[in-house]
Amino acid sequence: MNFLHLLARNRLALAGLIVMLLIVLLALITPLLPLADPDVTNTAERFKRPFEDNAMLGTDHLGRDLLSRLLWGGRLSLAVGFASALIAAVIGATIGIVAGFYGGRTDNVIMRGVDMLMAFPYILLALAIVAALGPGLINALIAVAAVNIPFFARNIRGVTVSIAHREFVDAARLSGMSDARIILTEVLPNVIPVIVIAMSTTVGWMILETAGLSFLGLGSQPPQADLGSMLGEARSALITNPHTSIVPGAMILVIVMAINLLGDGVRDALDPRLRSGALSRPMPNTLVRRKDPVPETKTDALLELNGLKTQFHSNGRIHKAVGGVGLCVEAGECVGIIGESGSGKSVTALSVMGLVASPPGVITAGAVHFAGQELLGAPYETLRRLRGDRVAYIFQDPQATLHPLYTVGRQLVEAIRAHHPTSRANAHERAVELLRSVRIPNAEMRIDSYPHEMSGGMRQRVGIAMALANDPDLIIADEPTTALDVTVQAQILSLLSDLQRERGLAIIFITHDFGVVAQLCNRVAVMYAGRIVEEGPTDAILNSPAHPYTARLMACVPELGRGRRELAAIPGLPPVLDMLPQGCAFADRCHRVQDACRTGNISLSAIDDERAVRCIFPETPAMDKAQ
Amino acid sequence: MAGYIIKRLVSAIPVLLGISIIVFLIMAMIPGDPATAILGSYATPENVEKLNRDLGLDKPLVHRYFIWLGNMLQGDFGRSFSLNRAVIHEVMERFNATLILAGTSFVICSVLGVAAGTVSAARQYGLADKAITFSVLLGISIPSFFLGMMMILVFAVNLRWLPVSGMWPIYGARDLSSLISHLTLPALVLSVVATGVIARLSRSAMLEVLRQDFIRTARAKGVHERSVIWRHALRAAMVSIIPVLGIQAGFVLSGAVYIEIVFQWPGVGRMLVDAILKRDILLVQGGVVFVAACYVMFNIAVDVAQSLLDPRIKT
Repeated sequence: MNFLHLLARNRLALAGLIVMLLIVLLALITPLLPLADPDVTNTAERFKRPFEDNAMLGTDHLGRDLLSRLLWGGRLSLAVGFASALIAAVIGATIGIVAGFYGGRTDNVIMRGVDMLMAFPYILLALAIVAALGPGLINALIAVAAVNIPFFARNIRGVTVSIAHREFVDAARLSGMSDARIILTEVLPNVIPVIVIAMSTTVGWMILETAGLSFLGLGSQPPQADLGSMLGEARSALITNPHTSIVPGAMILVIVMAINLLGDGVRDALDPRLRSGALSRPMPNTLVRRKDPVPETKTDALLELNGLKTQFHSNGRIHKAVGGVGLCVEAGECVGIIGESGSGKSVTALSVMGLVASPPGVITAGAVHFAGQELLGAPYETLRRLRGDRVAYIFQDPQATLHPLYTVGRQLVEAIRAHHPTSRANAHERAVELLRSVRIPNAEMRIDSYPHEMSGGMRQRVGIAMALANDPDLIIADEPTTALDVTVQAQILSLLSDLQRERGLAIIFITHDFGVVAQLCNRVAVMYAGRIVEEGPTDAILNSPAHPYTARLMACVPELGRGRRELAAIPGLPPVLDMLPQGCAFADRCHRVQDACRTGNISLSAIDDERAVRCIFPETPAMDKAQ
Repeated sequence: MAGYIIKRLVSAIPVLLGISIIVFLIMAMIPGDPATAILGSYATPENVEKLNRDLGLDKPLVHRYFIWLGNMLQGDFGRSFSLNRAVIHEVMERFNATLILAGTSFVICSVLGVAAGTVSAARQYGLADKAITFSVLLGISIPSFFLGMMMILVFAVNLRWLPVSGMWPIYGARDLSSLISHLTLPALVLSVVATGVIARLSRSAMLEVLRQDFIRTARAKGVHERSVIWRHALRAAMVSIIPVLGIQAGFVLSGAVYIEIVFQWPGVGRMLVDAILKRDILLVQGGVVFVAACYVMFNIAVDVAQSLLDPRIKT
């Protein structure tokens, strides 16, 4: 019933359904209606206009009542269209299921034949079949069904192949069921939805095609008429009496449009991707919708985040990915953000330049100041000018983050020219220089490589070179080494650390690896469930973590040369971000939890000049030792 | 690249053979006696037998296929009895006209369809997206022959902007401008359905691409949104749009049948319909095989274009 509900929510599909039901109803009751005989000619009464004498839609070139012919013709067109769709579906599905179920040679031979049929321009094959069988409505029906069989066969085969090796089919085989029975009881029920979708999207076509063949004079033969042949006969009087053409033509349009609306609705309702909103494209900027007053800037740091809240709105559910993050980065400083997957660190980083995919992302509160300028809610052009010029990003997976169809040189040149209008030759020279500065050997040659021709480490170097292209003040590196192996990771880290020192870059380094933080960062912020739970100088935190979460997280890191120490995985899972508990989000997993931890809002409070922790019972160095 | 083209051409040989076998078998299904059909029911048995012998119809099916295939390979598609002319000459001449019509339509639907789909995706759920989505739905639901008739009524009969039908003026010069004025309506009408289908698929291909990480990278570089859409996203989406263009070319070529009838365009589709109604089997057979073979060749060109566009395809 969920399906019908979804269909009903799509108003256009519902309209299509209603129109279609009306038309089908009309077609069914046509024989009962008090209509004139559609085939009785009366040349004295020919070409009557609509509403002239008793003819509601007028009469055609032989004086036959158009309304009556329209209803009878529509009935015939519908019947023929549905029949050919049904025939094509049954035969096509049978072929597809047999090919998919048996696989191997059978599959090969059948699908070769299907490919041959699909190599024909569609209608040409139908014409050849009609040529062989001779004109006539049944022959046209056969021809249209036949040319659509390959479409069904190919679709159904694909689905069957994916089902044929599932556990329940294997189980049925092992229990000694015959192939025919497995197909009927196990495979067919799973294939039927696909057949229904394929039919709903093609039945409109079939009606058009059969009407088309009749229009050409190859389908229904006089005096019997479907909508196509009505139109074909009316064509000679098109200029003098257009209404005889418009009546059947408009009817075909209405029928096919209703079917297509309905078919689209059915397809959308059955497509899980559409339901989850996964098919929407991200806008150039993250949507900013702040209700509370925007916080003022407090420091003159290069970058200051203040009470940042970023959420994902989908299907009426709200995921609070970032729940009020404040963070300062001074010029030339390297700040680490550390946390488990899903703790909100990447979303925080992407929020800075409005790069969180939206929909579904929405920034609902807070402020981001870069060099004194408020970025949230800033116009697109302001953000675009800063992006890549003064604030640059390095992303995690260089395979997915570089454009696969452009050479790395072209992508570097573009990064330069987006902010500095210079000649292509100059930019090219600068790009080679950049590749050299990230220590890519043979830069002049490599610049013409495509990303897929490079190794993961090389691609990440290209990503870094791209970030450096315009000498930014701040680089936000979102797990830039996670996808790389350890030796390459070490090279990239030392490269970043050198660049930071040489160029006085500020870096925000996002990672889940304490080793990386220790190597690179001056300060570190630990995130859990969308909030910072602890913040301070790297050494201090590494030596004496104050938040139980930080302590447990560090205990998870295996250390070389310390023997077979037991790794202390944190029990439990992070909370679901659309149902955050009251109080401390870590309470359920914490070994120091007390009743007070589960109430109110626990704030991030200073424990000395440089450190702050979001915990009412923090670990202390003394207790740490006692443990 | 040359090696890749040769490889694709070689792989087309079994497809072409398959096409010829399918057409041959369909034509062999014809009930009754072709010789009687040609000579009419008053023919003497001797004449029927003689014609059967001349046409090679007294030989077994497989034998007949190879004779037919051999003749075709030498450019001999037989002789049309209704036109009393070599089939190949008639088909080539008519195919020229179809190529002008379908080729123009193909260009129109490719450009318009991809552009509309791209705009639609970039403005998802916006006014432009809704307008395009609705037009597309209308376009793929309206029978092209009906649309053609209405266009004639409005633009040729009432407004008198364009000629009603035909490819050339009856009197007057056969120059480019007269061709264009005759071509405009039929080419536009023929492109409508394909434009709709291409726009739909381009839209979903673009939506798919716009969610990819490299689009975020382009935005993070500060590339202008215009370039992000038309250069980064569209370029990547073209990889899945190009095969659709190949399929739609087949639909345009097929759909030309209706348009040629409505606009009296002297193309191969109209020839086929006439030939079917006159039971001129050799003409139908030759026409279908010829057009299908051209379509196979066109699809190879599409594959080659695809490999040029996507450096990841090994050529």
